[in-house]
Amino acid sequence: MSHLQFTNVGKLFSGDNWAVKNFNLTINDGEFVSFLGPSGCGKTTTLRMIAGLEENTHGVIKFDNDIVSDPENKKYLPPEKRNVGMMFQSYAVWPHMNVFDNVAYPLKFQKLDKATIKKEVSEVLKIVELNGLEQRKPNELSGGQQQRVALARGLVMKPRILLLDEPLSNLDAKLREKMRRDIREIQLRLKLTLVYVTHDQKEAFQMSDKVVVMNKGQIEQIGTPAEIQNSPSTQFVREFVEIGAS
Amino acid sequence: MRKSIYFSVWLVVLLIFVAPLAYLVTLPTLSQFIEILTHPNQLTAIKNTVLVSLSVGICCVVLGVPLAWLLTRTNLPGKEKLRTWFCLPYAIPPYVGAIGWIILANPNSGLLNTIFGLGLNVYSFAGLVWVETSFLFTFVLLTTLTALDSMDSSLEEAARLSGANAWDVFRDISLPLLRPAIFNGFALSFLATGASFGVPAMIGGPARIYLMTTQIYTYQRMGTTQGVQMAIGVSVLLMMATLILLFLVQNTIGKQKSYLVGGKSTRPSLLPLKQATWPVFTLLCAFLFAVFILPLLGLLISAMSSVQGQWSVSNLSFNNFYRVLFQTEETWRAVTNSLILGFSAAGICTAFSFFAAYFPAKTLLRGRSLPGIFASVPFSTPGSVLALALILVFSQGYFGVGPSLYNTLGLILIAYIVKYMSLSIKTVHDGYSQIHPSLEEAARISGAGFGAVLRTIYLPLLKSSLIASAFFIFMPVMSELTMTILLSGPGLETVGTLIFSLQEYSDVAGGGASVLSLLVVTIIFTLNFALKKLSKGRYGL
Repeated sequence: MSHLQFTNVGKLFSGDNWAVKNFNLTINDGEFVSFLGPSGCGKTTTLRMIAGLEENTHGVIKFDNDIVSDPENKKYLPPEKRNVGMMFQSYAVWPHMNVFDNVAYPLKFQKLDKATIKKEVSEVLKIVELNGLEQRKPNELSGGQQQRVALARGLVMKPRILLLDEPLSNLDAKLREKMRRDIREIQLRLKLTLVYVTHDQKEAFQMSDKVVVMNKGQIEQIGTPAEIQNSPSTQFVREFVEIGAS
Repeated sequence: MRKSIYFSVWLVVLLIFVAPLAYLVTLPTLSQFIEILTHPNQLTAIKNTVLVSLSVGICCVVLGVPLAWLLTRTNLPGKEKLRTWFCLPYAIPPYVGAIGWIILANPNSGLLNTIFGLGLNVYSFAGLVWVETSFLFTFVLLTTLTALDSMDSSLEEAARLSGANAWDVFRDISLPLLRPAIFNGFALSFLATGASFGVPAMIGGPARIYLMTTQIYTYQRMGTTQGVQMAIGVSVLLMMATLILLFLVQNTIGKQKSYLVGGKSTRPSLLPLKQATWPVFTLLCAFLFAVFILPLLGLLISAMSSVQGQWSVSNLSFNNFYRVLFQTEETWRAVTNSLILGFSAAGICTAFSFFAAYFPAKTLLRGRSLPGIFASVPFSTPGSVLALALILVFSQGYFGVGPSLYNTLGLILIAYIVKYMSLSIKTVHDGYSQIHPSLEEAARISGAGFGAVLRTIYLPLLKSSLIASAFFIFMPVMSELTMTILLSGPGLETVGTLIFSLQEYSDVAGGGASVLSLLVVTIIFTLNFALKKLSKGRYGL
């Protein structure tokens, strides 16, 4: 079943300066999709358009059967109404709130009672292996732990889709390897639909069901990791895959 | 909600910040300007203003630049402490220093004259320039210190390695690189002199040196139509000159070029002063004593003297304190008024800035930076001019609508808000720009609307900026004189106007002005100290 659909989506900054152009993609329920490409290729912009943090200037973005953005018909759902989880590259863990308050924050807007909030938060903290650290302030946590807070905050709201923006780029190699496996494992267990932005070929091929290779705001190729590695469809994809392999 | 707040910010700025000054500018006719520019008294006032301001500006550079260099680039002992001490005069209202210097150096009974027989006369051109300089040199000092701190010291080290000695480096490298900062400091002290009222009124008055600000006061006090028209004409001239000069300086020579520390911050290698160390240290301490300790000491002696202008232990007592603080009704009215005004202005400015600074810092809305720029115009406008504009606009209701605010605390409050809002907006804006945008985005994705983002994310994260902003408004308001003197009437005394009237008319021989001046200095230093502690050194001197 299609879960998220892009139809001719584009983002025009000014004149002929396209951040993203002619973007067509269908993401199915429970799929792990990576946007892969060099910096400046438009992958983060596309991710932010899913969240509603950027407005696309062209095309239509659909969740299931709900249109969330359609500039031609002046339709645009603000981010707080989209029920999308996101893990930021900078973590974006609020420094003035402890772990519990950070994770519980999205539930405040779902009008749940305190007991339910507490139960849900502690469940999700267990999933990310942070149980027991509820009262810690972010500055008392390691980088990896802050990352898990950010992940828990994205999970707790039971989002329609979870977005991750280069979440592992600030971690050391060993921790990065563990987080990759953990994220994939959680995604499979909770049957999450997930979009993962990265410039690291290895990361994308290791974790994803589907990889979208992007360059200069446009899609170069869509396929499974095996398809992309074995039969790159353009010169750019071939070179990009080779650099990753070497 | 976001749109309506943005709209409200614009509306307030246009109605309260822009309209009065814009209205003032349209009032004088060409023939009035010609009348002013051909009137001998006005011409003298303009000439005096330029001459005094220029002299003060030059003296400030001559003192401030070498001082900044000594405090950053040499191995002078106790540099950090000295730095703090030298910046302190920045926080004191200069008219308090004027009172101190009148006590020390008036020709009849100045303490330096009666005790040491120095024969000084503060009521002179030199006296006026010295008193202004002794406070305003901090403007040059601060801009130069900041520039030296952020300058890449490898530029200077490369010159050392090329064979230049310390003096060569200062002359050939540091000075040229510092030129924009020095020019900005010069312009600030030049303009602050032209805008000052307290010092020229107290010192220039007896010396018969009239400046444009004191002329505006005299004409406005006449109360006649002709007097008010003259005041308006002089005001518009002063304001135009100020704003044009400021614009020119900031967009030409004063434009900061960045010779900033590149990448990793480097620690400048310090020049050893060797055998000059202690002479230089002693000289700096003597200078500090002369500009800062001496006038405060004069105030203290005067405040404790039963008979002014005499020095003997038997002459000292706390009688003046008792009389002024506990037996004078005006004192409490003035302190109460100043406190009410201080808290209200600080609260209103900070609350407004919390909303107003959001847009330039966090959005890409069209025209987002204009309200902040508009709010900075009254801040740069001389206080006398601004006060006059507000009187004209608010004295018959707002442009004729609603009740008159003339002779009310309300109009004084509006004046403070309009004058100092810029300080508050800048502080909160800096606070906003230090918060990573993803913190807001994460909240929005979690389901928070604009109101919830402001309340749950920005309000707690901006706490220290908001507190600092409140202090930055409260401190100058507690001692404001230039605008208040034009706006206040009977029953509306503030600490500033009470000090002024005690000094000028009602208590010349009683030391009352000295007592209140010390009170003001104590309050300001306590607040500054509290702010520095509260913000862990991020704000405050």
